[in-house]
Amino acid sequence: MEIMQVTGSLVCSHRVGGLGHMQLRVLRTPKGKLNVAVDPVGASPGNWVFTSSGSAARFACGNPEIYTDLTIAGIIDHWSPDG
Amino acid sequence: MLICKVVKPLVSTNRIRDFEHKHLQVVLDGSTQKVAVDAVGCVPGDWVICVGSSAAREAAGSKSYPSDLTIVGIIDHWDPEAAKATAAGSPAPTPAAAKPASGGMAS
Repeated sequence: MEIMQVTGSLVCSHRVGGLGHMQLRVLRTPKGKLNVAVDPVGASPGNWVFTSSGSAARFACGNPEIYTDLTIAGIIDHWSPDG
Repeated sequence: MLICKVVKPLVSTNRIRDFEHKHLQVVLDGSTQKVAVDAVGCVPGDWVICVGSSAAREAAGSKSYPSDLTIVGIIDHWDPEAAKATAAGSPAPTPAAAKPASGGMAS
């Protein structure tokens, strides 16, 4: 599971039904790469979160039928980027 | 499987319920920091073995446990410098002994 920072929400109304009503967030890795993740915990921009990827992401979002390979698993209480 | 060094525990109160009460550790895989579910009870500074994909889920608890990286063993003796030498191509003098921890969590 990787550690990333939430940069903002992603609005995508034209999408497949398999994404359900899950909220999407844009995440940034410490190296600067951008990803889109499903957010079951409600993280806000600026939060440092840890994510679950691959098939485990489908279980992490609560409903294994959701078509995701990256899910926010939790918001880290205290995190410093170099720490 | 990966060989990683345990950095520190990861505290996340606001997290999905499926993680239940399992401890999370920040591990160092080479130069990248990752988060792994701790199934054996390791302390910062340990060298551990981490497993990924579906095996990580079963090692952490059940087939539907939302982990993609789980610590499955604490290495008895591990010398990172000798490992770099082996990676560079010259055979290491003493083979690294890797014994999976006996005490694991009752699943």
